[in-house]
Amino acid sequence: MDAALKPEPTSSSHRVDPVTTEIVRNGLIAATEEMKTNLMRTAYNMIIYEALDFTVGLFDARGNTVSIGLGLPMFIRGMSDTVKTKLAHYGMENLDPGDILLTNDAYITGSHLNHMTFTVPIFHDGEVVAFSCCMAHWPDVGGTLDGATTDIYSEGLQMPIVKIYRKGAPNEELISVIKTNVRLPERAMGDFRAQIAAVRTGERRFLEMINKYGRDAVLLGIEAIMDHSEAATRARVREIPDGVYEAQSFMDDDGVRIGERVPINVRVEVKGDRMKVDLTEVSKQVAGFYNSGETAGRSCCQVAFKCLTSALDLPINDGQFRALDIILPPGRVVSALKPAAMRMWMTYPMTIIDTIFKALAPAIPEHIIAGHHADLVVGRVNGRRPRDDSFYIYLGGLIGGGWGGKHNSDGRNATIAMNDGDTHNGPSEQVEAKYPLLVERYALRPDSGGAGRFRGGLGCEQVVQARHDIRFNSQMDRVKCKPWGLEDGLSGFGNSVAIHRFGTAQEQRFHNGKALNQVLHAGDAYILRSGGGGGFGSPLDRDLDALARDVRCGYVSKDAAEKYYGAVFEPETNRIDAAATEIKRSEMRRQGLPQDEPIADTGVPPPATAHVHGHDHGHEKLSEEERVALAMTGRCCS
Amino acid sequence: MELGQIRLSADVGGTFTDVAAFDETTGELRLGKTLTTPARLVTGIENGVTKAGAQFRAARLFLHGTTVAINTILERTGATCALLTTQGFRDIYEIGRVNRPESYNLFFRRHEPLIERDLRYEISERMDAQGKVLIKLDEDAVRSVVADAVGHGIEAIAILFLHSYRNPAHEQRVKAIVAEMHPDLFVTASHELSQEYREFERTSTAAANAYIGPRVRRYLGEMGDHLDAAGFAGEFLIVQSTGGLFGVEEAQSACIRMLESGPAAGVIGTKALCDRIGLKNAIAFDMGGTTAKAGVIHGGEVLMTGGALIGGYATGLPVQMPMIDIQEVGTGGGSIARVEMGGALHVGPESAGAQPGPVCYGRGGSEPTITDANLILGRLAADRFLGGEMRLDIEGARRALETRVATPLGLDLRAAADGILRIATTKMSHMVRWVTTERGLDVAEFSLVAYGGAGPLHAAMVARELRVARVVIPRAPGHFSAYGMLVADLRRDFVNTWFTPLVEASFATMENFYAEMERRGREAVRRSGIAVAGIAVQRAADMRYVGQEHAVTVELPVELFQTEDRDGIKKRFDGVHETRYGYSAAAEKAEIVSLRTAITGLMRKPTLEPIRAGEVVPPAAAFRGTREIYFAEVGRVVDTPSYDRAALLANNRIAGPVVIEEYASTTVVHPGDEVEVDAFGDLVIEILRS
Repeated sequence: MDAALKPEPTSSSHRVDPVTTEIVRNGLIAATEEMKTNLMRTAYNMIIYEALDFTVGLFDARGNTVSIGLGLPMFIRGMSDTVKTKLAHYGMENLDPGDILLTNDAYITGSHLNHMTFTVPIFHDGEVVAFSCCMAHWPDVGGTLDGATTDIYSEGLQMPIVKIYRKGAPNEELISVIKTNVRLPERAMGDFRAQIAAVRTGERRFLEMINKYGRDAVLLGIEAIMDHSEAATRARVREIPDGVYEAQSFMDDDGVRIGERVPINVRVEVKGDRMKVDLTEVSKQVAGFYNSGETAGRSCCQVAFKCLTSALDLPINDGQFRALDIILPPGRVVSALKPAAMRMWMTYPMTIIDTIFKALAPAIPEHIIAGHHADLVVGRVNGRRPRDDSFYIYLGGLIGGGWGGKHNSDGRNATIAMNDGDTHNGPSEQVEAKYPLLVERYALRPDSGGAGRFRGGLGCEQVVQARHDIRFNSQMDRVKCKPWGLEDGLSGFGNSVAIHRFGTAQEQRFHNGKALNQVLHAGDAYILRSGGGGGFGSPLDRDLDALARDVRCGYVSKDAAEKYYGAVFEPETNRIDAAATEIKRSEMRRQGLPQDEPIADTGVPPPATAHVHGHDHGHEKLSEEERVALAMTGRCCS
Repeated sequence: MELGQIRLSADVGGTFTDVAAFDETTGELRLGKTLTTPARLVTGIENGVTKAGAQFRAARLFLHGTTVAINTILERTGATCALLTTQGFRDIYEIGRVNRPESYNLFFRRHEPLIERDLRYEISERMDAQGKVLIKLDEDAVRSVVADAVGHGIEAIAILFLHSYRNPAHEQRVKAIVAEMHPDLFVTASHELSQEYREFERTSTAAANAYIGPRVRRYLGEMGDHLDAAGFAGEFLIVQSTGGLFGVEEAQSACIRMLESGPAAGVIGTKALCDRIGLKNAIAFDMGGTTAKAGVIHGGEVLMTGGALIGGYATGLPVQMPMIDIQEVGTGGGSIARVEMGGALHVGPESAGAQPGPVCYGRGGSEPTITDANLILGRLAADRFLGGEMRLDIEGARRALETRVATPLGLDLRAAADGILRIATTKMSHMVRWVTTERGLDVAEFSLVAYGGAGPLHAAMVARELRVARVVIPRAPGHFSAYGMLVADLRRDFVNTWFTPLVEASFATMENFYAEMERRGREAVRRSGIAVAGIAVQRAADMRYVGQEHAVTVELPVELFQTEDRDGIKKRFDGVHETRYGYSAAAEKAEIVSLRTAITGLMRKPTLEPIRAGEVVPPAAAFRGTREIYFAEVGRVVDTPSYDRAALLANNRIAGPVVIEEYASTTVVHPGDEVEVDAFGDLVIEILRS
């Protein structure tokens, strides 16, 4: 191949031809995709293969991101910063071919201890030319299983930066430390192997490209890709009107100081082709386990920036962020310092990202989105299988929730929150085959999407029955501080968690979304409810055909259509009376209706208690099938 | 032509209808390419049959592949349907897997169900994962729900109950109730199409079948009437996504099985070609106007997959059933080359399609495409496109490339055109490599069989990029799917989910599963009415290590079951895992996820007659002059000879650079490579390994 390298010292874009650059670009994307698939297919835990809670990537010799294969969108900075820290820790001169560096230091990755991060320095002719890296979420890294944590020591094994392989040889002593400290060592070692295979795939593909196209062509091609990315993002920032934009939002509480709102204040400054995001006024680090490290705070800014300036551009690379400045002093909830508890690191950043969009809404209303449910809505279950007394951990939930409305379309229903990307829920048929659980219901929540000209997407409800004793924990937020609407759109329902005990009339709700240390017995159920998205534009401007479909399909109840959208129904046909609706809408506008309640308990309809089974049934006397069926038919839920 | 000795096939695509007619007495293959007639597809087929010089009256077999099923989904022109599903699960079809593949796109879209929420009804009933009834079926509710749905004007019903893969009794009962109430409704129960777990995927499969059912049934009925009217007295069979054939009666109820019939037939044609010329490993590489596709023949067998997303990864609807594993990339002749914001040059996936088409078609296209680049470099001749029926506008192509790509990037015209082809080549090679590395196979050990209108133009470049040593261009590469249909067999595939640790798996139970699947397969073969030469049965199991999710399909010879060789099964699984993922764990426990079987009714195959043999030097009559073609590997324009493929003889051997032209495609042989015409008229190109 005639790569035609013209030695012009100005910029890398001019030292490598655009065709080679494009070929290298496609090669990098293919390499990271292969790393990703390799990991998914060989991983042992569902958090990797279904939730895609991992990230793989290639990095330049300084640790800058060259290409990331998603994975976890919120980990956009996590690996680059980890590679850089590892490099600084050892120094380039102390890295050898065959080394594999490992850490799960939460303050380096910015996240929680579950994120085991492996890095291979890629050598060519005796020199490091790049790094291949893989983070994946291990389901268990030790630490307390249930309840709230308040420091990092209770959250599990901390592995500082180590060479887990030294010149090709595994460090068996360190591996044995890991195995000793986790609850499911065989599974952990399966994931360990899968991650090693993934980073080695990246190394192999990168070296193949160098051998095929030449080292200079590849390395200069990478610089050119970053330059192109920078130019494209700058051009898009230039389209945003200059100005200073601010917004505020709140988290419900940190799980320790119950009911104490946690403020999120962001300030965005746009000037010419640069954007500055200032997170100085975001809450200080908190007592509960909702902290994350500086890397996560920076990720918030980069994720928001990418959504606005390079949403579909590949590969994800650090050139895309050169036009972004970030101000983030240490000690904030997203730049927390040791020993802050980090287990639920992922929750707050999602709201910070939405708040950045909220700030920019007046400037670029056609590019942003109303608030989304902003929580992964996870239910953590552990127990022992009655069949063989084997211990299991089941990460339930990830049920998806509502996304915000936009200037031209409704928000999407039942989609995973911002932290995660190509995350899949687990099929109920699989859950029931693998665990002694029964999914009674997995459905959309009517009326959960914030009313608007473009409605917020609907959240979901999942009801799961325990078929034997289990321990259950769920740590949600944005229960009361609901997903907000924009431009007179209303807020959506908040997230929530509840437990329904067999044979009782009422479900037990957890008003701040934290259900900790709960023991469920056979026949009891936990109920996860995800919030809806905020609406965009006044619901009084919603198209009547769209509203009629909403009501016909049950996305919006008739009551809500009347109350929030100003609909008037013809009594006989139940059709919307357009003329009467217009009159009612004018009147509502005059009265300043409908009113929004952005911070309030969501008005979940009180549970209908169809059949209350008294204890006289003697529920221990029932056969298992009878009990399961009886529990299901007697459930309280909507 | 003598009555009853003709085997006809028709591949109806979006733009063209290809017909192949094979005379079993003379071994002669005749072809007809005509425009598809969307309003009445049979007209296009009839035209093609005429163009191929054949008649339905003289045909013994009519084999048909059609896009009618997939287009009904993609164009959303199917029936109004209802879904009957387990209480608490009507939204599963809409919730799907909650994933957001375009993770940073705030304006992301999701799959759109084919059945609206108000027509998705919940029925009180419940099975558990072992197939035990927890809540019995509420038959009264079924009756009232069906009445309500019919009141809404539905034409079809899909039924999905949880765990029906384990116990289909409730689905069967509901289907019987509906049949009692409304015998004319199109009804499909999920277990009839898929007995694998994953309720969303199974719902989507059943819903898609209901959605396309009435239209496909009508289409096949009309086709049958037309065949009767045309005096056709033979058997009418349809191509499935597995590449196997099935009878019309079955095709009218399991319509979804014909979704990818055209691309699948191309892979089956490739397999037949491999059998004929003794290739064990080959990539079936099909490049057309908007996409390039690749399937794999490994060890003489076509590689299969368990499902696909119809309409693409981000917003596609899943279909869960065995089919040929075909990968696709948005790179075809019409793919547009564009300088993106920031100064990067991208090729595809945007395509100029057939309308307006490439700039050189002169139909209003303004953005340069891969076809334009080929014309500018001299690889296509302006006056020989489609046998000279369509003259290409080279000046227009040059102007477009100059202003839109070359000048903005500071490249000369030739470098820009060559760059577009190189970028397209790497994109296609990543896709081709993917289908092999995904399974742990080394693509360099494969040959590339290239077809489709644009395949022969680019195959040598793709092969060189992949270090593939040999490219084969079959006869009539532009009609290859129609040819593939001629050599297909009857086939039925079954999968049954049965989660069981291998150590606990009872051989008697497994035998029952397989025997039942095989019985149904033989029954299907029998009902097709074809006298088969024999029946082949393949067994396999989807297996994984305990704790893993993704399972791999392991082919299992029947002897392993006869000898109850549990260790043998485990060893085979370890071996497949080792090949595919680079490691295996002999000490770890494995589990069975699903049992699979494929029953093949072997049909007598048409045998192609060898073409006339000649010398090494091609006959003078085949030479069509020379023209200037640019080849990057030598860095200059080369005066390149061109030949008429139809006039070449077996044993002819020509050193590259050379182009070989035929009606619907052009084969480019690069400098250093060499092409030989084999006994059957295939072009076999040896690629110079650099």
